[in-house]
Amino acid sequence: MTLLFNMIGIVSDNWLLLLVGQFPNGPLGGIAATLILSILGIALAFPLSVTMALARLSPWPVLRWPATALVYIVRGVPLLLIILWVYFLLPLLIGESVPGFVTMLATLVIYEGAFLSEIVRAGITALPRGQMDAARALGHSHLGAMRYVILPQALFNMIPSIISQFVSTIKETTLGYIINVPELTFAAGQINNRLLTKPFEVYFMLAIIYFIVCWTLTKLASTLERRIAARRARSMDGVAAPALAAAPAGASRT
Amino acid sequence: MSHQAPSNTAAPMIEFIGINKFYGSLPALVDVNAEVKKGEVVVVCGPSGSGKSTLIRTVNRLEEIQSGVLRFDGQDVHAKIGSSAMNHLRSRIGFVFQSFNLFPHLSVLDNVMLSPVKVNGIKRSKAREIALQLLDRVGLSSKAENYPAQLSGGQQQRVAIARALAMEPPAMLFDEPTSALDPEMVGEVLSVMRGLARDGMTMMCVTHEMNFARDVADRVWFMDAGRLLESAPPSAFFGSPQHPRAQRFLSDLRAR
Ligand SMILES: Nc1ncnc2c1ncn2[C@@H]1O[C@H](COP(=O)(O)OP(=O)(O)OP(=O)(O)O)[C@@H](O)[C@H]1O
Ligand SMILES: [Mg+2]
Repeated sequence: MTLLFNMIGIVSDNWLLLLVGQFPNGPLGGIAATLILSILGIALAFPLSVTMALARLSPWPVLRWPATALVYIVRGVPLLLIILWVYFLLPLLIGESVPGFVTMLATLVIYEGAFLSEIVRAGITALPRGQMDAARALGHSHLGAMRYVILPQALFNMIPSIISQFVSTIKETTLGYIINVPELTFAAGQINNRLLTKPFEVYFMLAIIYFIVCWTLTKLASTLERRIAARRARSMDGVAAPALAAAPAGASRT
Repeated sequence: MSHQAPSNTAAPMIEFIGINKFYGSLPALVDVNAEVKKGEVVVVCGPSGSGKSTLIRTVNRLEEIQSGVLRFDGQDVHAKIGSSAMNHLRSRIGFVFQSFNLFPHLSVLDNVMLSPVKVNGIKRSKAREIALQLLDRVGLSSKAENYPAQLSGGQQQRVAIARALAMEPPAMLFDEPTSALDPEMVGEVLSVMRGLARDGMTMMCVTHEMNFARDVADRVWFMDAGRLLESAPPSAFFGSPQHPRAQRFLSDLRAR
C-alpha cells in the first residue's frame, strides 16, 4: 500500500517532467518525446520500408541485392550497436554534432525500416498471384500494378502489423537513454537520481506507464486484425485460390 | 453456327509456331503449331494437366516459352521487346481468369475503369461512360457501386469480362471462365460469351462446356500431355474424333 502511495506521490510531484521533460525551459522530453520519436520513426521508416520491399521483390537484381543486404545486416545486429554506430558515425559524415534526438530518430528509421520492409514484403506476397496476373494482363506495368492493385490491398491488410511494430518502436526508444535522449526513461532516471532512495517505486511506475500505452495499442491492433480478417474472408468468398496467410501481427523478432 | 464464320483467307490473329515450354524438366508444351484467325472462336479442351492454361497464358506472356515464335496480330510476343511495348501489347489482349481476379478493394465500376484511365490515359469521365455501357452489356449496370465481395460468382465473372473489354482488345482469351461457378451461374456467363462471338470477337476459350463449343466454336483444339493433337470444326471433332486420346476424352466427358 505504501508502495502505491509512494508511486502516486512521485507521479504527482513530477508529472510535468514525465509528460514533457524540461520543456519549455529545455528540450522536449518525457512521454511526449517518446511518442514523437516513435511516431516520427515509424512515419519516416514507412516509405523507406515500402521502397525496400519493392526493391526486394523487383525483377532487377541491382535493386534486390542492396535492399536484401541491408535487411539482413540490420536484422542481424543488436539495436544498441546501431545506435552507437549512428552516434559516432553520423557527426563524422555530416561534419557537425548531432542532437541525441536526431541520432535516435535516424537509428529508428533504419532499424524499423528494415523490419517493416519484411512485413510489407510478406503482405505483398500473401496476396493471391491472380491479382498481379490480372493487372499485368490489363497492361499495367510492374510498378503500376503494385501501386494501384497490390499495395492498396497489402498495406490495408498490414495495418495491425504496423501498429505492433509501432509498439515495438515505443519500447525501443528507451535505449535512447544511453545517449542521453531526454525521453520517458531518461526523465524517470532524473527523478530517481533526485530521490535516490526510491528506485523500485520509480522504475515500477515507469513500467506501468509503458505497459498502459503499449497494451492499449496492442489491443487496438488485435481488434483491427479481427475486423480485417473478417473482411478478407468475405471478399474471398467464391474465389478459387484464397491466400489468407497475411503478415502476422506482433511480427516476432529475433 | 450462330455467327459469321471467318473466311478461310482471314488473316491470323494468334499464331503458334513450334512452341515449346518446360517447367524445369517437365515439358508443358511440345511443338505446338496452330493459329486463330481474326473473328474466329477456338475452344481448347483436354484432360487436366494437358497444358491448356499454359498455352493460353503464353499468348500474353504471363508464361515464358523456351522456343518457337508466337505472334499476336502480327507482333512477336516473345521477342526481346521493351517493357512498355510489352505492356501495350498485353493491354490489347483481353484475358479472363477462372478465379475472376477482380480487384477486391475497388468498386465494380472502378474495376472496369482502372486500366483505361491508368494504362491508356483516358479521361475519367469518358472512361466512366464506357464502363457503364459495358456493365450494361453484361447486365450489371445496377451493381456499379458494389464491391466484388457483394456479387455472386457469375456476376463477378461478368464484371471481369467487362473489365477486359474496356481495353477494347481485338481478341479475348478465356481460361476456364465457368469452372469456378455454381452450375446455376454458368449460363449467364456463357450467354455473355455467346454475345461476344456473335459480334465477331476473336476468342480463344479453354472450357469443358461442350455445348458452348458445339454451338459457338469455329474450331476445337484438343490437347494432351502438352501436345495439340487435334484441331477440327466442332461437328467433326464431336462426330468423329480422330485421335484415340480425343475419343477417350469425349467418352469420359459423356459418361460424367
Ligand atoms: N508454375 C508451374 N510450375 C511447374 N509446373 C507447372 C506450373 N504450372 C503448370 N505446371 C504443370 O504443367 C502442366 C500443364 O499445366 P496446365 O495448368 O497448363 O494444365 P491445364 O490443361 O490447364 O490443366 P487444368 O485443366 O487442370 O487447368 C501440368 O503438368 C502442371 O502440373
Ligand atoms: Mg488450367
